[in-house]
Amino acid sequence: MDAQTQTNKKNVSDQVHTYLSFRLGKEVFAASVNHVVNILELKPITKVPHAPEYMSGVINLRGQVLPVIDMRIKFGMTPTEPTVDTCIIVLNLEIENEEVKLGILVDAVSEVLELEENQIEPSPSIGTKYKAEFIKGMWKKDESFIMLLNLDLIFTRDEIVVVEEKTNEADMPQNEETGE
Amino acid sequence: MEAFKQKFVEEATEQINDLEEALLQLDKNKEDMDTIESIFRVMHSLKGGSAMFGFEKIDKFTHILENIYDRIRNHELKVTPEILDLTFQAVDHLRKLLDETPENEQQLEQENKLFIERIEKALNEKTTPEHASIQDEPTEGKTKTYFVRFVPNEDIMQNGTNPLFLLEDLSQLGTSLIVPNISKIPDFNSLDPAKTYTSWNILLSTNAGINAVIDVFIFVDDEAKIETHKISDYNLLQDKAIKNILKDTLQQKPHIKPSEIHDLIIDLENIYQEKEEKQVKDESRKKVEHSISSIRVSSDKLDNLINWVSELVTIQAQLSLFNKENNYPGLDPIAEEIEKISRRLRDDVFSIRLIPIANMVTRFQRLVRELSNELGKEVDFITKGTETELDKNIIEMLIDPVMHIIRNSLDHGIEDSAQARIDAGKAQKGSITLNAFYSGTYVYIQIIDDGKGLDHEKLRQKAIEKEIITEDTQITEKEIFDLVFTSGFSTAKEVTNLSGRGVGMDVVKQKISELRGEVELTSKKGKGTTVTIKLPLTLSIIDGLLVRIAKTKFVIPLAAVQKIYEFTHKEIEESINNLFLADDKRVPFIYLRDALNIEGTPPEIERIVNVEFQETFMGLTVDEIIGEYQAVLKPLGRMYKDVDIVSGATILGDGTVALVLDPNRLINEYTNKENIGG
Repeated sequence: MDAQTQTNKKNVSDQVHTYLSFRLGKEVFAASVNHVVNILELKPITKVPHAPEYMSGVINLRGQVLPVIDMRIKFGMTPTEPTVDTCIIVLNLEIENEEVKLGILVDAVSEVLELEENQIEPSPSIGTKYKAEFIKGMWKKDESFIMLLNLDLIFTRDEIVVVEEKTNEADMPQNEETGE
Repeated sequence: MEAFKQKFVEEATEQINDLEEALLQLDKNKEDMDTIESIFRVMHSLKGGSAMFGFEKIDKFTHILENIYDRIRNHELKVTPEILDLTFQAVDHLRKLLDETPENEQQLEQENKLFIERIEKALNEKTTPEHASIQDEPTEGKTKTYFVRFVPNEDIMQNGTNPLFLLEDLSQLGTSLIVPNISKIPDFNSLDPAKTYTSWNILLSTNAGINAVIDVFIFVDDEAKIETHKISDYNLLQDKAIKNILKDTLQQKPHIKPSEIHDLIIDLENIYQEKEEKQVKDESRKKVEHSISSIRVSSDKLDNLINWVSELVTIQAQLSLFNKENNYPGLDPIAEEIEKISRRLRDDVFSIRLIPIANMVTRFQRLVRELSNELGKEVDFITKGTETELDKNIIEMLIDPVMHIIRNSLDHGIEDSAQARIDAGKAQKGSITLNAFYSGTYVYIQIIDDGKGLDHEKLRQKAIEKEIITEDTQITEKEIFDLVFTSGFSTAKEVTNLSGRGVGMDVVKQKISELRGEVELTSKKGKGTTVTIKLPLTLSIIDGLLVRIAKTKFVIPLAAVQKIYEFTHKEIEESINNLFLADDKRVPFIYLRDALNIEGTPPEIERIVNVEFQETFMGLTVDEIIGEYQAVLKPLGRMYKDVDIVSGATILGDGTVALVLDPNRLINEYTNKENIGG
């Protein structure tokens, strides 16, 4: 109802939200372009010791030291295996009232989506394995769903993964590398 | 208009600081006309500025203050401790007035009125000029210039007379120009070190009279030839140009006759008189020149500049690496030149941010002055090496901890009564010294008091009481003193309102570690206490040792590195208790590859870098030493705030990131783990 009245009042361009979609494994997510600074090819990442697994390390972004986060681990998947499509998306986020720049490691960047307000569906409280608060909404493309992420919130929490519960397909990779 | 106002507030804050500094000087020498003059000038310009930008209260207030100092200037009023106290309070009041907001306007108005009334009252009491004091004032007219030739006999030192002491006595009478005549010194082989070959020509401007000058030499009358002549009724040495002419003449003609000097002086006197007339005009001009010699720049701009230079240094390293790998003809000299220039640029830019420690000293002087009054202790605050420079940010963050240390020294260090000091065989007046100096890439700041000192046996008992250590803990003196920095360990028997308000030396220590500095306390019972703060010169660049483990590169601060040793992997693996032999000492080491969870196979030969932190030695194993590296330190950011063994990151020539290890934290973390394990 609320959305309906707004459509009448405002220009159509006001309603269009632009998202950058990217792929993690088989799933597609999208981040608001307002957050996106740029997209980098994968480059050598310096691992920081004693940091949580999902924090891949740091890279040099034109003289700045940029932390990089492995989104696959954050979303409960196995760590990223570098391919030609692997990218680092540089984001500008606001975390606890502080502007923070960071990079996220994704399997591939897909496309830029222009979505109108009314095309966005609320995130279902059941049926996904991700905690509802991290998903702003969904957009149905063909037969699949693209999940629009609430990025500020994802990185505010010190939690390691965004998944609701341990599911059978998300194999927790924590202990894989710490051996020896 | 708002922007102008902001500018005025900024400038006024600085002027008030200057005022405070001048007042402290006046406190030491209440008859120093120059200082009074500068106080008057500051008030005058404050008044002007505040009227222009609508700070009415400041205008009114400074107007009255200015009046006081105008009268002092004209010898109608004498500087008394009451006037000084009043002015000091006025300085605080001025600061408040600058901060005026609509909310506290009413209250300030009231305070302002009261204050002005108080000043007026003080003024009325003192309206009668006190001519008595003016008499001993050194006034220009009475200062005369004398010529003294002092030719000591060769064996003057055998009678226990040191001619240099005589010269010092002489120079204390006024302004002096002392030119040694060393023409009689024989060549080195025939020189007898027990003999004196030097004679001196001295020009002295003093108001003490010729007899005082002659009196200096009264005991060496027959051990030296002394000639004393009055050569001018003016203070000739006051003028720099004339002083230089005289100096040159005396240097060129060591045997000049007094009559010759006299002739010269007559010429110079004429110049002097002319100059004096001109001086009034010059003064206003000088002021203009003075203001151009420095420019105000916002610190944001400086921060930007530093960021750019840091990037330039990084890019330059890239260029040098590229040049090394690809041998393009002609690139070599260019790369070298760029390296040279960026190095100089870096040094200069970083030095812009450095400001002398003197900038924070005024506050401490004020603190000591007020606290010693309050506590009824007589204390001198002595500063040394205040020209030592430090990064502005460091100085700002240093003020509070140093304040706290000084407060402690005054409150707990210095004896409660003068009698107690005399009984202990010390001067009645206590002293607190702030001593700053450079050493390597560090700046040291010491706060030294000559008070009671700390009793380490008492400290030990207290630590046992507080269950920090147990009765049978073996603990060195140094470790005991370190306990002072533990939280909840306050040594004051009763908590006073000055120091010991719960926050204590532990906060001092924490603040200083945040600046990557260290703090240490040493003390001798009955003699006094010294607190030493060690700080890096700048927060943004460090000299480091670049090392590699597997593919990851690390920088170890060079200041901590003692020596590097080579061992085979087998030797390291088979070592007992993780100890290695550093020369002939057994030193524990940390196997970094494991400690930092780095995968891969270690090479056959590994290196151990022996690092030191506060007298603890520790080896760190690495695969390879790459070399020295000037690391531009970048913060890792909030995402890595929990990783404390890494103090930052730096960007290498090939564009990759190396991590800067914090040996201090590494050692601590490691030894703590050991303790838990054992």
